[in-house]
Amino acid sequence: MPTRRSAAALALAAGLAVVGGGTAGLLLTRHPSAAIHPPAVGLDALPAPTGPIVAPPQSADPRPVAAPVSLTIPVIGVDAKMITLGLAANGTLHVPSTTTVVGWYTGSPRPGAIGSAIIVGHVDSHKGIGVFFRLITLQRGDRVYVRRADGTLVVFRVTSVRTYLKNHFPSESVYGPTPDAELRLITCGGTFDSTTGHYLSNIVVYATEVS
Amino acid sequence: MKFTRMLRRMIMLLAASALLLGLPAAATAYASSATSGTGWIRLAHLSPNTPAVDVYLYSFGNSNAEIVLHHVAYGTVSPYEAVSAGDYSVAMRASGASPSSQPVLSTSVTIQAGHAYTVAGMGPESGLRLAVLDDDLSTPSGKSLVRVIEASLKDQSVSVSFGSQVLSSKLAFGTASSYFTVTPGTETVKVTANGGDANSTVTLGAGTVHTLVVLDGANGLEIVNLEDAAGAGDVPAGAAATGFGGTAPHGPSSPVPWLVVIGAGSLLALTGGLRLRRRPQPGI
Repeated sequence: MPTRRSAAALALAAGLAVVGGGTAGLLLTRHPSAAIHPPAVGLDALPAPTGPIVAPPQSADPRPVAAPVSLTIPVIGVDAKMITLGLAANGTLHVPSTTTVVGWYTGSPRPGAIGSAIIVGHVDSHKGIGVFFRLITLQRGDRVYVRRADGTLVVFRVTSVRTYLKNHFPSESVYGPTPDAELRLITCGGTFDSTTGHYLSNIVVYATEVS
Repeated sequence: MKFTRMLRRMIMLLAASALLLGLPAAATAYASSATSGTGWIRLAHLSPNTPAVDVYLYSFGNSNAEIVLHHVAYGTVSPYEAVSAGDYSVAMRASGASPSSQPVLSTSVTIQAGHAYTVAGMGPESGLRLAVLDDDLSTPSGKSLVRVIEASLKDQSVSVSFGSQVLSSKLAFGTASSYFTVTPGTETVKVTANGGDANSTVTLGAGTVHTLVVLDGANGLEIVNLEDAAGAGDVPAGAAATGFGGTAPHGPSSPVPWLVVIGAGSLLALTGGLRLRRRPQPGI
């Protein structure tokens, strides 16, 4: 029957067209998209902030220090407001809801007091760079400044920059006690897993107060 | 046959698309650099009847002192100094003595990376010695650690409690207790001794390490609360989610929908092809 034959021919042609289209689609989407290159604007080095610089704390006389209000890292152009963060119900650190501020974990010592103050910031947003985009480029000896509510400045120097896979995160070395005033600056890095929407690693910058 | 050729072509096409499914290389180069290689040391004078001293810290085999503390009097505890891990010696000289003079006392100390030490002159002047104390830098989550050093010559031993918890009972002069894990809070530290008691209100925060030093004061005993170290009170669980991927190179999107399309198309073409292949039946 000619109608039957032409229907079968049509099915064959349509099927082949669909296979062709599907293959084309498959081929076209196999190419990964390139990384976004950050705009140069806003990432230039900044001048060091000025203000009264306080001395590191003494273990025999641990005075209470004022709360942190902002973070400046001149060499990577960071000058960000500091908000406070707590823990989520599952015990993990809350992170700032915007990518332009940094957050200090209130369960850790204040910056400039004895111990390791935990500060987190985003490496990027869905569309572009975050406040800690350049954190990984910090080098030993770079200066980090924290401004406190009383106007004083605490100055830290970077001692090391590490990358840890999140499923091998060394909680003790990052969050554990230290005998001097230190900072831990934390952001994301490594491979981005687009299935989970998370990076696989954390970048941790260790810094110690300068005397 | 026409159909077999078509089938073969279709299979080749499917095989080719399967090849393209190769997952992006999963291996991530992960180089954990060595630790920064520093430890901490602090120096203390805890011998009640010994006059002030100058304290020197030498890196082993180096005659130039790395740290010199002048005129360190009884009851003084220096801040921690971060130094490279390795072997050191600590020397005490009378205050103002020439740096090249023979020290009154000296001891060696090995500083391990990530560890903290207190080197203290302890005991009576007649039996003065340099004690090397290992300082703990870890607390159980949500707790605090505290220890006691008995540095009062007025009493041969003291008993010390923090609130209702006894920290040490009859701790001998010139010795340090081990660390105790306590529930954080503000409590009265009570020192009981033959020569008289002393009280002090002390706050021990979660995640902190403290040393309580019992000293001879102008009148009776004095309690000095040293904050040795501090960390997060409630230790966060693991890593932090600090990125949304906007600057990450994105891997290829999932191939599954395209494969479904290809599969459906193949099925349709196959059905059509099979029908065509059948010889036309004579019309009824």
